[in-house]
Amino acid sequence: MILTSSAYRKAVVVFFLLLGASGLVLPDFQLLAFNQYLFLAINVLALNFCLGLGGQISLAQGAFAGLGAYASLILHVRFPEASALVIPATTIGVFLLAGLLSLPMEKLGEGFLAMATLGVSLIFTNLVLTFDNLTGGSAGMMTDAPLTLPGIGVIAGDRAYFLVFLGLLALGAYVFLALRNSRLGRALLACKDDPPAAASCGVNRALVRALAFGLGGALSALSGIAYGHYSGFISPEQFSLELSLKALLFLVIGGPGNLMRPILAALVLEAALGQMHFLGDARTLCNGLLLGSALLFGYWRESKGKSLKRVQLPG
Amino acid sequence: MFTLYLAQIVNSGLALGAVYGIMALGFSLIFNSSRLINFAQGELLLLGGLMLLTLSRLTHLGPLTALFAAGACGFFLGRVLFSTTLGLSINASPLRQLMLTVAASLCWQGAAILVWGKNPLLLPQLLPIPELRAGPIFLSRDTATALTLAVASVVLLSIILKHTRIGRAIRAVSMNATAASLQGVNPGMCRALSFAMAGILAAMAAMAVGPQTMLRYDMGLGLGLKGFVAATIGGYTSLWRVFFGGILLGVIEAVLVLTLSGELKETLTYALLIGLLVLAPHRHDATERA
Repeated sequence: MILTSSAYRKAVVVFFLLLGASGLVLPDFQLLAFNQYLFLAINVLALNFCLGLGGQISLAQGAFAGLGAYASLILHVRFPEASALVIPATTIGVFLLAGLLSLPMEKLGEGFLAMATLGVSLIFTNLVLTFDNLTGGSAGMMTDAPLTLPGIGVIAGDRAYFLVFLGLLALGAYVFLALRNSRLGRALLACKDDPPAAASCGVNRALVRALAFGLGGALSALSGIAYGHYSGFISPEQFSLELSLKALLFLVIGGPGNLMRPILAALVLEAALGQMHFLGDARTLCNGLLLGSALLFGYWRESKGKSLKRVQLPG
Repeated sequence: MFTLYLAQIVNSGLALGAVYGIMALGFSLIFNSSRLINFAQGELLLLGGLMLLTLSRLTHLGPLTALFAAGACGFFLGRVLFSTTLGLSINASPLRQLMLTVAASLCWQGAAILVWGKNPLLLPQLLPIPELRAGPIFLSRDTATALTLAVASVVLLSIILKHTRIGRAIRAVSMNATAASLQGVNPGMCRALSFAMAGILAAMAAMAVGPQTMLRYDMGLGLGLKGFVAATIGGYTSLWRVFFGGILLGVIEAVLVLTLSGELKETLTYALLIGLLVLAPHRHDATERA
C-alpha cells in the first residue's frame, strides 16, 4: 500500500491548484468540454471508493449520478431556491440507498456482483422511462431552476460550474485519502485482499463495504446534481451504462486504489478521445481495445513482478 | 378471448424462452469450466448472427449448410473469445478476467458497428420448419424454429457431455481442474472447447432470434443478461434445469409484457435477477473459492 506522505499530499494540492488555474485561463467554449471531463473524472473517483478501496466492482455509478440529477431537478421544480436543503437531502438519500443496496450484495463474488450492479443500472434507466410523467421518459427533462447556495447566491455559467466540479473532485480526493489512511481504510483493504481473513479478524465486511459503496454513490450523486443543473437538460442516455463502463475503463487504466492516476487518465484520455472526431463509429471499438490493452498491460506488469520475486526467493 | 391471450403468451414466451435457454446454457458452460461470468456472451450471438447473415447474402444456404455454417462461425468466435480473454490471462485475478470479457464485448460491438452499421438487419429464416396448430395452442414459424433448435442443442450437448471422452474431460475440469490434469486432461484445451461450444450455442440462438427481432449492434448486452438471469434461475449445474430456467423466464416476460408496459417488464426482470442472486446462498461459495 502506498502511504500518503506529506510530499504526496503537496503534489496533490499542486495538481488541483494547477487544474484550477488552467480553468480560470481557458476560454468559455473550452470550459464546456472541460466540465464534461471533470464530471467523468468525479465518477471515476467515486468508483474508486468501492473498487479501489473495497475491491468491489460496480457498474451502477451512472445510475447513482442519474439518481442525483433526477432527484435534484424534480425537487427543484417543487421547491425552487431550496438548494441548500435539496442537495444534502438528495446526497444523503443516494448514500443510504447505495449502502443499503450493497449490504445484501456484499457476499456475491465478483462476476455476480458485476451482474447485479449492472441490473441496478438497467433498472434505473427503465424506471426513468416508465415514470415518464415525472421524468419526461426518453425525451428527457428540461430545467431552468438554478442551484442557489446561501452566501454564494445563484450558480450559473461555465466558470462557476467549473469551480463546482473542481471542488467536488477535490472534496472526493480529500475524503479518499483520509479514508485510505484510516482504520476503516485498512479494514477495506483487508476485505479487498482476503475477504475470509478480514472477516475472521473481526471486520464487519458488509458494513464496511456498504460505507465505501455509499460514499461512492453519494459522490456520483453530487456530480449528477451539478451536471443536471449545469446542462439544464437531462435524459436517461446521459446516465446510461456507458457512463458506468467509462468510469470503470479509466479506473482500470489508472489502477484501482491509486488516487491521481485514474483521474489523470480520465481527464487526458477523454480529452484525447474527444478530439478524435475522425474516429466516428469506431469509438466503441477504440474504448474496448483501450480497456483490453490496459488490463493486459497491468496483468503483464503484475506477473513480471511475481516472477522476479520467485527468482529472488531461493537466493 | 382468454384462451387467445393464453395462446399468445405461450407462443411468444416459448419463442423468447428458447433463446434465453440456449444463452443460459452457454453461460453455464463457461462458468462451470472457468468460474468466469462471460460478459461477451450476447456479442457471441450478435456476431454469429451477423456472419451468418453475410454468408446467406453471398450464397444460397440450405437448411443443413446453414446449420453447419452457424456452427462453424460460432466455434470460431468462441475460440477467438477464449484466446483473447481467458487464454491471455489464465493466472490473473477473477476480476481482471471478468473485465477482459467486458472489454471484449465493447470491441466486438464496435466491430459490428464498423462492419454492419447501426441499422437493424433481418436474418432470414433459414430452416424450413412449419408452424404448428394443436387445438387452442398455436406455435408460429419462429417459435417452432426456436424451440426445435433449442431442444436439439440441449439433447446434443447433454449427449456430448455425458457420453463422449471429451465431454467427460470438460466435466472433470469443471469439478476439479487440478485433479483432472493429474489424470492427463488438458484443462486449457477443455476451457477453450467450452468457450467454442458456448459460441456454437450462441450462433444457434442467433438463428432463432434473428428472424424474430432482427440483429442490431446493441442487442448483445440485453440478451446476454437475460441468458444470465435464466442461468441463475436454473442454478448453473443441470443442463435441463438451466434450459427450463430460460423457458420460464420467457413465459414470465410474455405474461408481464401483456399485463404491464415493456419498461416495467425489464425492471421486474432485473429486480428478479438481483433478488435471486442475493437469496441463492449456495452460489457464493463457488465464486469465492475461485
